[in-house]
Amino acid sequence: MNTSHERRQRLVILGVAESDAHAVANHLIGMQLREHGFTVVNLGVCTPLSEFADAFDRHPGAEAVLIGSLNGHAHQDLGKLPELRAAGRLACPVVVGGNLSVGSHKKQSDRQRLYDLGVDHLLSDSDELVLLLDLLHAAGAARAPELQNG
Amino acid sequence: MADLNGLELDPQVAAELPDWHDILAYLREPGRPHAVEVLRAADAAGRPAVQPRCGVGGHDRMLALLRELEPAGPGILSLTIDSHTRLRRFDTARALLDGDPADLNGYPLVSHGWRRGRELAEAVAVPLEVRHGSPDGRDLFAVALAAGITSFEGGGIGYNLPYSKNVPLAHSLRAWQQVDALCGVLAESGVVVDRELFGTLTAVLVPPSVSLAVTLLEALAAVAEGVRCLSVAYPQGGEVHQDIAALRAVRSLARRYLGPEVEVFPVLHEFMGVFPRTPDYANLLILQGGLVARLGGATKVINKTVQEAYGIPDAAANAAGIRSAALGASDLLDFVRIDEARVAEELHWIEREVAELVEPVLAAGDLLTGIEAAFRSGRLDIPFSASIHARSLVVPRRDGDGAIRYADAGALPFSGAVLRRQADLLRGAENARPRSLVEAATADIHYFLEKERRSLPGTAHLPLTDDPRSRYR
Repeated sequence: MNTSHERRQRLVILGVAESDAHAVANHLIGMQLREHGFTVVNLGVCTPLSEFADAFDRHPGAEAVLIGSLNGHAHQDLGKLPELRAAGRLACPVVVGGNLSVGSHKKQSDRQRLYDLGVDHLLSDSDELVLLLDLLHAAGAARAPELQNG
Repeated sequence: MADLNGLELDPQVAAELPDWHDILAYLREPGRPHAVEVLRAADAAGRPAVQPRCGVGGHDRMLALLRELEPAGPGILSLTIDSHTRLRRFDTARALLDGDPADLNGYPLVSHGWRRGRELAEAVAVPLEVRHGSPDGRDLFAVALAAGITSFEGGGIGYNLPYSKNVPLAHSLRAWQQVDALCGVLAESGVVVDRELFGTLTAVLVPPSVSLAVTLLEALAAVAEGVRCLSVAYPQGGEVHQDIAALRAVRSLARRYLGPEVEVFPVLHEFMGVFPRTPDYANLLILQGGLVARLGGATKVINKTVQEAYGIPDAAANAAGIRSAALGASDLLDFVRIDEARVAEELHWIEREVAELVEPVLAAGDLLTGIEAAFRSGRLDIPFSASIHARSLVVPRRDGDGAIRYADAGALPFSGAVLRRQADLLRGAENARPRSLVEAATADIHYFLEKERRSLPGTAHLPLTDDPRSRYR
């Protein structure tokens, strides 16, 4: 596990999907990440995907874009992800967390639809977030020399 | 922009309205019920009037809903407005109304128009209040007045920061300034409009002094424009002594800051956070809200329902909620005594905290620009803001007794004495619950679920609602 001190240079972009105005979980996750030492650019509620892309353009060192979606409309709100990725934007892991479809019974197909759009990771519990970011970070660090050599 | 006695309006909305003399004549018709009269009577009786939230899209369904709720004995009934109308998307509201009105989460009064509004107001004997969440409620206010409705909720802070991502406070404060100014004009013509201020804010762990500072500043702005009747709403937090002290503080702060020209009525919004899942425990909390309202001297209580954990309630559940809240305030519970010394201590500190928040703003000169500047710097702040125009550096926590305290006061300009007391009160809670900040905040938000689990054997197996953290913003 990384320490808070080592995470200080690590930046993530956080926000809530475009059609979603749930602020409480967003603030709590922002607090959690800062408590663990991350620098958090929090775009807040009702954020269109294009604004996540703009934020990543401004902070190309960000190691992930974290999108909360609690109203079940993640698939609609993230519909432009393939287009943005094709244009070379949002070139970092996109992590979507929350309540991923309408209705109380979740189906594997709901998750697959989001993976098909290009979402890299889906989380249903915010407590898994720091671990995921550390794993991604470690994998990125291990890969970096190869990229330089390649 | 068209104009109704200083109230700037969308020209299309203005074109549909009757002229000012007709509006005024209708408002002054003898026998029309007005909220201010209900509030005065409840205050004199020492028992709060009860009011439900209620609003559906279709006109006939709205009429039926009001008629179904009236026999439960509410003092005032609500016209809860849909989200599109709140955001002045009148065309969208109109389109949904023409398609399937059930897609609207409230009554689109502007789209239905003032004639149908009058039909609603005349269908029941009790007055109506328009409840919404509009950062700019001017058009809605004009239609409400033309419909004969003289109770209107909202304010430039409380109806902006919890509801909208990016409406500048300068805009919402000035829109509500025009609403208040028209209330001043009406007061001079003998029509008293009850203006309710939404101290409930984001409804999640709101420290009393944050709620009371916001509504006091909105009240000062309203009184400056000539408003003569204010209902100041405070959200039940869950710790009885703190809630009673906060309700009493509404009156003591009004005496200190607002002067004798304005009537001020404290209102309790029954618990707005994550609600118990069993009808039994939910009903207990609704009943207790009625009792807390009476003990705190509230003039009005907005009831909850046993279906709260699951979405918008049906009429039968809402009627039962009205009755439960009224029973909680009824004489069968008049034997209940509280620890007055503990309430007095809470009241003292709440008044001091509000003074430390509000007085620097008042000292800065122009009130509205002072409010904007204070939110920009974080000297005024609310937790869990949906708006980017509040910094939300404030982190609330429950203490060992469940009272809401400041774990982090952000940039609020509190004195050392206030900050030390807050830290002392939370020290016990920190020791008892050594958890991460997020775990602790989540437990504090789920406060009544845990109490329900401990009080009712056999509820431990109940799943948490789909995503409880998502339910309130």
